[in-house]
Amino acid sequence: MLVEVNNLTKRFGSFTAVDGVSFGIEPGEIIGMLGPNGAGKTTTIHMILGLITPSAGEVRIFGHDIQTHREEILQAINFTSPYVAFPYRLTVLENLLVFARLYNVPRRREKIDELLEMFGIADLRDKPVVRLSSGENTRVGLAKAMLNDPRLLLLDEPTAYLDPEIAWQVKELMMRVQRENGTTILYTSHNMAEVEQMCSRIVFLNHGRVIAQGTPIEITHAILKEERDEPALEEVFLRVVRERISA
Amino acid sequence: MKLHRVTAVIVRHCYEARRNVDRFMDMVYWPVLDIILWGFFTIYLRQGNHLRPDLISFLLGAVILWGIFFAFQRDMTVGFLDELWARNMINLFSSPLGVWEYITGLICVNLVKVAVGFACASAIAVVAYKFNIMPLLGAFLPFMLNLILFAFAIGIIMSGLIVRYTTRIQTLAWSFAGPLQPVSCVFYPIKSLPSILRAVAWMLPTTHAFEGMRQILAGGGFSRVHFWWGIGLNASYFAAAILFFNWIFASARNKGLLVKLE
Repeated sequence: MLVEVNNLTKRFGSFTAVDGVSFGIEPGEIIGMLGPNGAGKTTTIHMILGLITPSAGEVRIFGHDIQTHREEILQAINFTSPYVAFPYRLTVLENLLVFARLYNVPRRREKIDELLEMFGIADLRDKPVVRLSSGENTRVGLAKAMLNDPRLLLLDEPTAYLDPEIAWQVKELMMRVQRENGTTILYTSHNMAEVEQMCSRIVFLNHGRVIAQGTPIEITHAILKEERDEPALEEVFLRVVRERISA
Repeated sequence: MKLHRVTAVIVRHCYEARRNVDRFMDMVYWPVLDIILWGFFTIYLRQGNHLRPDLISFLLGAVILWGIFFAFQRDMTVGFLDELWARNMINLFSSPLGVWEYITGLICVNLVKVAVGFACASAIAVVAYKFNIMPLLGAFLPFMLNLILFAFAIGIIMSGLIVRYTTRIQTLAWSFAGPLQPVSCVFYPIKSLPSILRAVAWMLPTTHAFEGMRQILAGGGFSRVHFWWGIGLNASYFAAAILFFNWIFASARNKGLLVKLE
């Protein structure tokens, strides 16, 4: 296993945000993490990144505990989310140069140019981040996340602010990265069609707990409790949310 | 601690200084404005006949040195605030960057900024008021070191408080040094203070620095006592600041505050 999440729990006072979550990720796999807002997805990702200390349980990446091997693990993984930002006065190039230094990327400028081309934002190179649209910002975040050719990529709703065409391009790019580099990807999204196409397995969270995990079709069977020929994650998601509201 | 990560922090804040007018103003504008204001005041004082001849040097020297202390502690805190305002904390700390690498980078940048401010203020003091701090620099350096070390310690504590209480307390970056100024005896000797405040004043490395500086300007030579008292106090405050920051940063991670900082 590349990632092992064992009985991960996070309590904030009397509120339990993540409650005994366990799952594993195999090398080269794209795994989706789904769940309604407040299900514990982002808190789980933040614990995987060592940004939040778990109340119980452990995260092991490349066989090491993130709490004790933070530096070497974070050197080989990366993360992006449209909900975090960059210093807005700095240009796209300046921001990426700073992060390339943080990850000690060799031939920084060449690598950055290559990524800007890859994400179709080469023309934004010298533009201050404050003048970018949210979609452009998301693509800069994705370029940052690819700087160190990560072995593990954590993508928290990376297509949330993108129009369907760019979202499709980003999805195709991520699948290409996984195919060509063998990058392992943990992906959260509210776009169920995207998750069905990309992810070989899914961990479904609700109220901080794993309520189902498996392939998209297995998740569909487990939650809808009926036989289907095709995965129906949209329906699964709506069922979970409606049950949550009625409870 | 990895040099390339410390360099990344330095580069990040150099870009910021180049593109952010506020940072330029902090670095040059205020030290220059202070020396111009106090310089005119010393011109007025020179017109009287009852002044000690070294008073002008006391005042201008104090303005320049207090400027160093104030700028350093403020810029340490503002460096952290820049990341908060930019919502960049998660990006930074989900990278291999360690918090002490970040602080080391910030210290390096702030040393350069303070040196620029000091050079500008000193040049104006020479040109406009015929006060040259440079010949005294060798004797002043140990006291400047004490001022900077104390500013580090305060900057580290302030940064810890920012991590814990976020931008709600950002005004402390500019206001915290204010109450320290009267008890640090920047412009007057410690005997001017009421006795109850003298005990407090002696506990501040800044007081020892300014007392030491005045002794040099009065021709009394370098005061080893004030220097070593300053070093001793700074060692205690520095150790306390590091312990406090480590504790509050771990607590912020535990409470999930690091990801809520924006």
